Amino acid sequence: MSGNESVLNVFIVDDEPPARTRLRDVLTDCNEALPLKIVGEAANGREALDKLVDMSVDVVLLDIRMPQMDGIELAQHLHKLQKPPVVIFTTAYDEYAIKAFELHAVDYLLKPIRKERLLESLSRAREAGPVQNEVLHELSPEPRKNLSSHERGKIHLIPIEQVLYMRAELKYITVRTADREYLIEESLSALEKEFSARFVRIHRNCLVAKDAIEGFVRGGEDSAESAGWMAKLKGLDELLAISRRQQHIVKEFG
Amino acid sequence: MNRGRSIKQNTMNEALPNFRNLGITLRILLISNGMALLLALSQANDWAEVMRHMLQIATLLTPILLSTWMLLWVMQPWLVQLSYWYGVLAVNVVVAAVTLFICYFGGELFNPLDSDNSSFSLARNMLLGVVVSSVLLTYFRLRTLALSSSVHDARLQVLRARIRPHFLFNTINAVLGIVRTQPKQAETALEDMADLFRMAMSDARDLVPLQKEVQLSRQYIALEQMRMGERLQVDWQLQDLPEDALIPQLLLQPLLENAVYHGIEPLHQGGNINVKLSRNGEELRLVVKNPCLPSGEWSHRGNKVALQNIRERLHLLFDAEAHYQVERGKDFYRVEISLPYLRVRPKLKERSA
Repeated sequence: MSGNESVLNVFIVDDEPPARTRLRDVLTDCNEALPLKIVGEAANGREALDKLVDMSVDVVLLDIRMPQMDGIELAQHLHKLQKPPVVIFTTAYDEYAIKAFELHAVDYLLKPIRKERLLESLSRAREAGPVQNEVLHELSPEPRKNLSSHERGKIHLIPIEQVLYMRAELKYITVRTADREYLIEESLSALEKEFSARFVRIHRNCLVAKDAIEGFVRGGEDSAESAGWMAKLKGLDELLAISRRQQHIVKEFG
Repeated sequence: MNRGRSIKQNTMNEALPNFRNLGITLRILLISNGMALLLALSQANDWAEVMRHMLQIATLLTPILLSTWMLLWVMQPWLVQLSYWYGVLAVNVVVAAVTLFICYFGGELFNPLDSDNSSFSLARNMLLGVVVSSVLLTYFRLRTLALSSSVHDARLQVLRARIRPHFLFNTINAVLGIVRTQPKQAETALEDMADLFRMAMSDARDLVPLQKEVQLSRQYIALEQMRMGERLQVDWQLQDLPEDALIPQLLLQPLLENAVYHGIEPLHQGGNINVKLSRNGEELRLVVKNPCLPSGEWSHRGNKVALQNIRERLHLLFDAEAHYQVERGKDFYRVEISLPYLRVRPKLKERSA
């Protein structure tokens, strides 16, 4: 990198090897017009997150349609990085995504990518800055498959189907799986909206996975706030309080 | 398609029904018995009488129907060579002759209650027979006309949907990716693409040799493997396939494309597609089975146009003689198609009506 500020550090994410080769070729062709460096590449979202955590990257060229985790979800996790890179999405054909991108004025490249078009996007990238998280949410037709938590210089992916409950505590949200807890910085109501198919609110500060509910027990304090019912989750000893307002849950899932 | 045989022929719109076709036979039975029931209804004064009349008609109708059908079955190769109106004449002559024969010689046997062999009764039965057969022929003619235009419509729709744009652009991109380092492979890939699109743009009513469709499907898989590498594996089980078998073109390839797009691509570690083609007597069986994400994680965004097209085409081409079955397991998807075994040089060309 030689401390040269004007050199653009580019990272490639695409699950198809020939597509990555193609991007390398075109980027090399762009090098004359715009000094850049290909600092790495990854074949899937998880690999990309692991590598990008220790890297200083300006631009990530990111394929939308990938197995396991699509490009839009990966872009949301990239926001957890110390210095989130600018993401330029690439796709061969995806009517839905392209419409959404146009609507939100998000930059994307159509494969096969032309050198001129790539140059245009790259030279705009620095001023443009990363796409806002709220916009990314709207680009995605489906909920994320993972939550992500930045912890001691590493980004942990938490598969959503492993999450038993999410509880708001002061600044953070505690995400509980059968094994351990993670802290994430998101809003509980946004999470409730995104994962409404999988989670149900049992308390002002708590969402519980519907599949994880094992039963309900009487107990806990009987106050204005609490109905005196507690939820028991599979694989957890801890009991979770159900608020008076959400008492109907006991009937629905009991 | 010069090499493929076609079910479309000049006389497609003006063709007699294929009397050896199961669907046609069932329709003939249903419609003529329906007409008999109407006749019985119109003569009767109460329900019991309807039954009696119906039985009476059926005892005469059934032998006539069966003998006519058997004769036509035997005559079928000869009938297709006639022009349409001569064909109609021939069928009506057969019907009249059979009716006359059975009423004259078997009238007493089949219809003891009404056994006057007066010339009026003979003429009336013959006339009724010819009217019924003309109604049936008109019905089949109209049906063929209706279907041939919907084949056309289906084909237009299919042309857009059969090869996914997703596949086209990704493949072009992949070819560009290898063209600098592996120009030879890039050439082969472009040749394969040309074959595939040539097929996709030809007439959807064409029948092609089974071997050719298999070859094309292999080319398609080679293209996908160029993109996906090791993640895509295909296990071909082709047990003593008849060399002379014909199938509708692009029947197998879209099934594979579906298996790749909805099955293998979303799987991180990829998977193995099972293709099994076999012959069972007069029937060809195609089975494509692929692993896929468990139902919950499965995105339903992909449309089902490809499979609907195949189902529709099979119905148009083979009517009741082709079967189509889909099984969606917890983590697999399986499509099974069975269709009549057609040979390369069939004297009678298969058509649905």
